[in-house]
Amino acid sequence: MSGVEQPVSTVRRVKQRSAIAVVVVAAAAVLGGCARNAPQDTFKPEGENARKIQNLQWPVFVVAGIVGVIVFAVIIYVVIRFRDHGQEMPRQTHGNPTLEIGLTILPAIILIAVGIPTVSTVFSLAKTSDTQCVVNITGQQWWWEYEYPVQNCGGVEITEPLVTSGELVLPTKVHVLLRITSNDVIHSFWIPKLNGKRDAVPGRIHPLRMEADHPGIFAGQCTEFCGLSHARMRMDAVGLNSADFSTWVADQLQPATKPTDPLALQGEDVFRTQCSRCHQVNGLMEENPDGTDSTKPVVAFPDLYVIAGNAPNLTHLMSRTTFAGATFDLLTDSCRKTLLDASPEEFGALYLKGVTPECFNEAELREWVRNAPAKKPMYSSEAQKDENGGKYRGMPNLNLTDDQIDQIVAYLLERK
Amino acid sequence: MAIIERPSTVPALPGGDVPQFATPASSYGVFRRPVTTTGWRSWMFTIDHKKIGIMYGVSAMFFFLVGGVEALLIRTQLAAPDNTVLSASLYNQMFTMHATTMIFLFVMPMAAAWANYFVPLQIGARDVAFPRLNAFGFWCFLFGGIFLNTSWFLGGAADGGWFMYQPNANALFSPTHGVDFWSLGLQITGIASLTGALNLIVTILNMRAPGMTLMKMPIFTWMILVVQFLLVFAIPVITVALFLLMFQRVFGAQFFNVDAGADPLLWQHLFWIFGHPEVYILVLPSFGIVSEVLPVFSRKPLFGYKFVVFSGAAIGFIGWGVWAHHMFASGIGPVSVAVFSVSTMLIAIPTGVKIVNWTLTMWGGKIRFTTAMLFAIGLIVEFTIGGLSGVTHSVSPSDTQQTDTYYIVAHFHYVLFGGAVFGIFAGFYYWWPKIFGKMLDETLGKWNFWLMVIGMNLTFGPMHILGLQGQPRRMVVYPEKLTGEGFFNLHFWNTVATVGSYILALGIFMFLVNVWHTTRKGATAPLDPWDARSLEWLTTNPPKVHNFDVIPHVHALDEYFHLKYEEVDTDAGPRLVKVRTAEELHEDQEANADKNIHMPSPSYWPMLVAISLPIMAYGIIFSLVLTVLGGAILLMAIFAWALEPAVADASDYDPPPQGGEPTMELANV
Amino acid sequence: MSEATLVEVPPADDHPVHDDHGGHMVTSTGLSNNKLAMWLFLGSECLLFGGLISTYMLYRGRHTGSPGPAQLWDIPLTSVSSFVLLMSSLTMVLAVSAAQQRDDRLTCLWLTVTALLGSTFVGAQVYEFTSFYHEGVGFTTSLFSSSFFTLTGFHGIHVTVGIIMLMSLVGIISRSKIPGDKAEVVELIGLYWHFVDIIWIVIFTLVYLIPA
Repeated sequence: MSGVEQPVSTVRRVKQRSAIAVVVVAAAAVLGGCARNAPQDTFKPEGENARKIQNLQWPVFVVAGIVGVIVFAVIIYVVIRFRDHGQEMPRQTHGNPTLEIGLTILPAIILIAVGIPTVSTVFSLAKTSDTQCVVNITGQQWWWEYEYPVQNCGGVEITEPLVTSGELVLPTKVHVLLRITSNDVIHSFWIPKLNGKRDAVPGRIHPLRMEADHPGIFAGQCTEFCGLSHARMRMDAVGLNSADFSTWVADQLQPATKPTDPLALQGEDVFRTQCSRCHQVNGLMEENPDGTDSTKPVVAFPDLYVIAGNAPNLTHLMSRTTFAGATFDLLTDSCRKTLLDASPEEFGALYLKGVTPECFNEAELREWVRNAPAKKPMYSSEAQKDENGGKYRGMPNLNLTDDQIDQIVAYLLERK
Repeated sequence: MAIIERPSTVPALPGGDVPQFATPASSYGVFRRPVTTTGWRSWMFTIDHKKIGIMYGVSAMFFFLVGGVEALLIRTQLAAPDNTVLSASLYNQMFTMHATTMIFLFVMPMAAAWANYFVPLQIGARDVAFPRLNAFGFWCFLFGGIFLNTSWFLGGAADGGWFMYQPNANALFSPTHGVDFWSLGLQITGIASLTGALNLIVTILNMRAPGMTLMKMPIFTWMILVVQFLLVFAIPVITVALFLLMFQRVFGAQFFNVDAGADPLLWQHLFWIFGHPEVYILVLPSFGIVSEVLPVFSRKPLFGYKFVVFSGAAIGFIGWGVWAHHMFASGIGPVSVAVFSVSTMLIAIPTGVKIVNWTLTMWGGKIRFTTAMLFAIGLIVEFTIGGLSGVTHSVSPSDTQQTDTYYIVAHFHYVLFGGAVFGIFAGFYYWWPKIFGKMLDETLGKWNFWLMVIGMNLTFGPMHILGLQGQPRRMVVYPEKLTGEGFFNLHFWNTVATVGSYILALGIFMFLVNVWHTTRKGATAPLDPWDARSLEWLTTNPPKVHNFDVIPHVHALDEYFHLKYEEVDTDAGPRLVKVRTAEELHEDQEANADKNIHMPSPSYWPMLVAISLPIMAYGIIFSLVLTVLGGAILLMAIFAWALEPAVADASDYDPPPQGGEPTMELANV
Repeated sequence: MSEATLVEVPPADDHPVHDDHGGHMVTSTGLSNNKLAMWLFLGSECLLFGGLISTYMLYRGRHTGSPGPAQLWDIPLTSVSSFVLLMSSLTMVLAVSAAQQRDDRLTCLWLTVTALLGSTFVGAQVYEFTSFYHEGVGFTTSLFSSSFFTLTGFHGIHVTVGIIMLMSLVGIISRSKIPGDKAEVVELIGLYWHFVDIIWIVIFTLVYLIPA
């Protein structure tokens, strides 16, 4: 059979062409078929740093696309034009050095054109000299904590250190420097609309700048694999204008209010005995034997109970819209939608209202308090605790009674 | 060292005698050497590079199916938001083992299979330089792979991702034995890679047929040579990393204990200094295969052979200077980021050279669309997509948006599936007749190809969108609220990807059907079914035990082609004319066959040394008694191996035909 | 590469297919397979020790609350044992030379001396490790100690394996049971031995002599 060429059947040719058609349709689908308003779209910057990336990346993607189309066009041409249709044995050309050097230099030129703006953007993104506000961010399994040190944050005085979690509240149009680290394993902090990601590495502090253009919620996600609940380690950035941010800071610096509702008052007792070992509530006082509050504050010591040595501060839980590592909503779906759809002007006021009883997504919080590890995989069963020298990773099942859950939820609902 | 050839002092008779074989009868070992040439023993104790190549291939394909099932489970879980097919723990194990299996137990050994089988054939040798070491490498790979996978049944597999970042893979955060199995198992397969690399480099450098200079070597052999050098220098780096990890977990060393002041980035640097060359280790063999296939089915020499060789070598060099592009988000500082961005862009140039040369090889050719050729063309197209998305990653600010999203998953699957796996499949269809003497069915082959192409593009194509629109990887679930709006939301594309993965699986199933069909009633392969160009086709299908009846003398690149075709002046100018058929060349070989070819003899010891390693490894995890036992076996088997003559004793051989005493004088070391 | 002709013209020479029938197999590079493989293996080992040395250099200052290099090193002792190891390279050269002259007795003698010198080195290392342990620095004490013991331990194991090979070689030579070319086997083990020595020079300099 050697030396005898078989004619290419028309069937094959048709297949070849239909393959091309498939490729073209697929390419069209890829280009035209994107989701609208995906919360973590990497091509929809809403802050200065993300925009710098966007300005660099879209031309690169376009150039890559054009190069791709040219290559495919050439391949398609070659495959059709030079298919075996009974022509003679081709010339045994071994190459054409001039052509090849040319085709080596061409991509080199394109890459130089890409390389220069890349390097300048790298250094531009790394600039920290114009920082107007600093937030310390700590990742741990499986939530983020934000600490605002005492400072003038873009014109708003923060007079005492302020600790919150889940939602990173930022003053808009202010250069905020995030100082990112971790308490246990490596995590990665990523708010795609505001900047690229930066790993949170234990023992190291990594800077990352962010600036939000306008008030609103910007979704984010831990992007370095960090164990069981990596998929459920989320975070949001919330932009507030200067006045609203100032209000927010003032609210956050308030100690917890004494419960008013009788159920919530009972909840305070339950919280003291069941939750306060790990979760800090500023302003919660130890109880005197007669049932009145002493002047001694309850201080959480999570380092004795959880490996990360930390648990979310719940003083102002209901000022946030999510809980448990921003995994679950504190707002009902409709209220959340209202908030997300709010115009930049209305957003701040709506956000500062916090979780009102009518907007409260009670069901999920109840499930969480009942049995947290069932809702979000964690390493916190009693057996696992014993393996780890008596410490949990994540929140354990506290085996609370229904009454206790009612009371705690009522107590938490007042943590504005 | 162990190929023993004695001169055929008697002139060959016309028509030729059948070459004689002599198998050594005695050895210094305790046992008699396993000399059977049939049955399972002939495979278990073989040191024939062809049999070892086949065993590498079969084992690798088995692990391919295992890794494929893992992939399907992953895709099934991700078909819809908040799905519950897999638990978080199982999902983490699944993607860790999917990557580990596909990289270390499928693509690498599959490349080893091709290299083992075809490098000696392509360079005109009768075996590799160290046949027993070759067998040892195979058994290390197989036992290492099995050891690694037994973790599924012994408390759970590794769950830290194939990159196994610290401190998440510490005993505290990954308390099952999975990571221990992983580190020890990869150590064992690493030994396989290292010994294989040493063996192949020596084989290629030292055992080429007379006249075959480096620049007349087939391109596949060249790419394998580059890969083996990468392995020689990359494997020790991962070895160090794996030792540190094992000492940390098993003996309580401090290397990744942050409380003691450790820097978790140490692991990342060690891992990626290995990990990036590893990417080229995976893909270059396939580049070699398609660089063989494209010229054959275009009926033209490889365009710019020297450029392809040098670009391959350049990739091998630059591949060492780009590792930190896996760490653009790790916090290594803007200077490092900028430097590694630029070096990463640099490596795109030699890679682009290959695409250009392949296309120009087809240019002006006479292209036959066999399945092998389709896979080769498929590789060019899919790899170009992967290469271009790779260039977008080198733009590091952009990479900080896309790294650890599905865009990366899309990228490396286009590179590794569209590149490495398509190359491997091109190899199946091209070389099957050489290995098994039967032609794989072309109709089933076309089904296989098209289902795989459609399947892979449906699976990995949408992942570009998913990643760019913000879906991170390694997530057991993604919430509905992050999927965006519209019909083409992320939920839709995830479903498409899942459907695609099943089509892909169907394509691979068609390959299995094809193998089954061919084995039962496949057409017997002619001597030279493709009108091929390189030396392996000078042998019979399948090749004789000693490969070549007579070692060819090489005059040109594409030696076999030039043996068949010559340039003849005609009225219409110079023209290529077939002057000799494959059958004539074959008769010529048989007529001039060397006499008294002594092939290396089988041995028990490589396998025994290899099996001692997983025994020791189980011991490290479960009970040091086993380690001591394994160590004893290891020591004994190594001594037996060392004392067993690589070259059999003179008394093992028949006296020379011309009379006189048996002698070892001509037996080489 | 010329465009004028369609095929590369084969060179006119027509050697017999095998020019290696005179005796030894002619390898394409002229180096024996074994030696080439050993060189490659040693190249690979360079990266193994490179990784371990880098780890040590990164971590050598990290020993909070436990003794560090400055408190532990006994430079005179280590210098002596380093000198002993260096001398063993000399005796190894003598062994190789004797093997090439096919003097089995002398080969065995020098191999034994080399092994003894190597054992002295390993003995000193064991003593050193023990004394560090008694000073409260074990394998798991600090980052410094983990990386120090790992680096020097790997080197010590390499020396130990070398000693086992040397002694096995003595045993095999004295029973004349060595397969293959005796002088080459001695030379190969010599290559390994010198490599292990050179690595120690690097370790000694970087770990002991240059202050953290």
